[in-house]
Amino acid sequence: MIEFDEQQKRLVLKLVYYGPALSGKTTNLLCLHDQLQQEGRGELMLLDTTEDRTIYFDLLPFFYVAPSGLKIKLKVYTVPGQVRHDATRKAVLQRADGVVFIADSLLSQQGVNAESFANLEQNLSMVGLAIEQLPLVVQFNKQDLPGVVPEAELRETWGPTGLPVLMASALQGWGVLETFQAAVEGVFDAVDQKLGLQERFQVSRDDFVAALIKVEKP
Amino acid sequence: MIEAKPNIEFVIGEEKRLSEIVSRVEIEPLLRSALKLGIARAALLDEDDLPLALLGELPEGGAPVRRQLNIMVEGEPKGALLLEATSELPGFEAIARLLQDALQLTVTNNLKRMLTTEVHTSIVQESYDQLVNTNRRLMESERRYRDLARDLELKVEERTAELKVAYSRLLQQEKLAAVGQLAAGMAHEINTPLGFIGSNLHSFAKYQARMTEMLELYQRLLEEGGALEQIRQQTGQRRQQLKLDFVLTDSGLLLEQCREGVERIATIVAQLKGFAHLDGMEQQRMDLVHELEQLLAGLAPQFPPNTKLITDLQPLPPVVCRVPLLVQAFANILDNALKSRTEGLELRVSSIVTGERLQISISDNGDGIPADQLPRIFEPFFTTRPVGSGTGMGLTVAREAIVSAGGGIEVVSQPGLGTTCTVTLPLSV
Repeated sequence: MIEFDEQQKRLVLKLVYYGPALSGKTTNLLCLHDQLQQEGRGELMLLDTTEDRTIYFDLLPFFYVAPSGLKIKLKVYTVPGQVRHDATRKAVLQRADGVVFIADSLLSQQGVNAESFANLEQNLSMVGLAIEQLPLVVQFNKQDLPGVVPEAELRETWGPTGLPVLMASALQGWGVLETFQAAVEGVFDAVDQKLGLQERFQVSRDDFVAALIKVEKP
Repeated sequence: MIEAKPNIEFVIGEEKRLSEIVSRVEIEPLLRSALKLGIARAALLDEDDLPLALLGELPEGGAPVRRQLNIMVEGEPKGALLLEATSELPGFEAIARLLQDALQLTVTNNLKRMLTTEVHTSIVQESYDQLVNTNRRLMESERRYRDLARDLELKVEERTAELKVAYSRLLQQEKLAAVGQLAAGMAHEINTPLGFIGSNLHSFAKYQARMTEMLELYQRLLEEGGALEQIRQQTGQRRQQLKLDFVLTDSGLLLEQCREGVERIATIVAQLKGFAHLDGMEQQRMDLVHELEQLLAGLAPQFPPNTKLITDLQPLPPVVCRVPLLVQAFANILDNALKSRTEGLELRVSSIVTGERLQISISDNGDGIPADQLPRIFEPFFTTRPVGSGTGMGLTVAREAIVSAGGGIEVVSQPGLGTTCTVTLPLSV
């Protein structure tokens, strides 16, 4: 949680897209930006990149105002996936309310996924977040490509973790909204448990999710 | 130790006020250009509608025309551009839009720069912290190694002290062994004279009884007052019966033998005392030739059969040294010579003064020492003798004693022909 000001009725939350390099974190955000209505979200801010690789982070903010007047801002960030930017990943992870782990479905990248996930666990503990209590959603991206690990196998591997696992192709635009929705619901539930969003601020879960995920009409 | 300073911590995502993102100085040139285009008053308002920058003045009566356009930060309106004119200007709307875009661009770019700077700063801080940590760990490990090195020195000192104790104990044992060996020889030597002294005394006791009897006969006959001729006859007869002539001659011989035996024992005891030097280890003057002679005499029982001892001992000035140690040294060297042959040993012992040094040579015609073993003979525990019969400390102890007296020892050996051991000692002033 970045900020909660009860007097100003202001709540700022953070959702972080984590994962190995080139797994499609920025593409996920671009896809959200394209598919969701402008109402309820801000512009996508891409900080400096080198050769199209994120070196700082990307940011896409979402807004929601509850009937009680509570203004909720959800800031969605990506981290740089390259191993060398570990310090930046750690900085972005600070005070996260939820994490979306974008994994690469390619068979050749399974080791990299595991390394990155271990890195996530380590960095979460270093910034003082307990992975068991943090809403975490796993997305296997690039499902459109040949040479990916079959879904059944991925589910068999990741099922025991108890984490929501979703298949997607950010490039083709499917699975991205579902992933985002699962993450937003997780974040809402976690924050609700801490602050009593529904009871004290009359924030409805469905309203909140619907407000953030307003699909652009074709 | 370097205390880490508390970091300026940025939380990525922290909300920023417009005033943090842009400054009045940055905004004013843009607003000034609005005034040049005929706008009366231009302002940038913050979140609370308070002006961050304000230029121009409104004439009396207020401004009939005004435009207020939002400035967004991360998709949220965080401030506004306010333009006021006295009348509707041509292109007022376009000017307003243009200025809004320009302000928005400045705000967005500034925000991006701030964000990257913040990330960059936290990375720099983290790597600095890591450096500090690494440095601390290095210093820690350096300290550990230093401690280790110091401990090592202590350990070496401890072990050295232990070794010294063990070594001196060995030295003592070696001395005791030598004394024991000598004592065994001495016991044998003393036993022989003791044997014949005992037997002589036994015979003498019998002789004494006969002499007493004879004396008593004289006494009795004189008291009875018989004729002199009769007394002479009776005593003469008895004297013959008792074989007193022989007894008297033999008694003298027996006593002479006993005296010689006692003298031999006395000599041996004197040698033992001299060898063991049981009285102290302080520096004393020593007549080396005398000591060598005594040693040779003491060792005589251990000479192998048919030993030929050739001595050429020239008188030497006295040597000041720890006498027992040096005597021990020569005893050990001689002992080796004696064991170099099982019989037919030719042992040569000579002493001479050469220049400022004394030189004592001890040669044998024994088996000699193989060339590959020669360099090791002074090593502690080096021995070629069967287990139990040699400690391997003899020459070690000898050299130790000689070197501590300021001298040197040199061993030359020809396998099959013999070994010569040359000891040099400084002339005492």
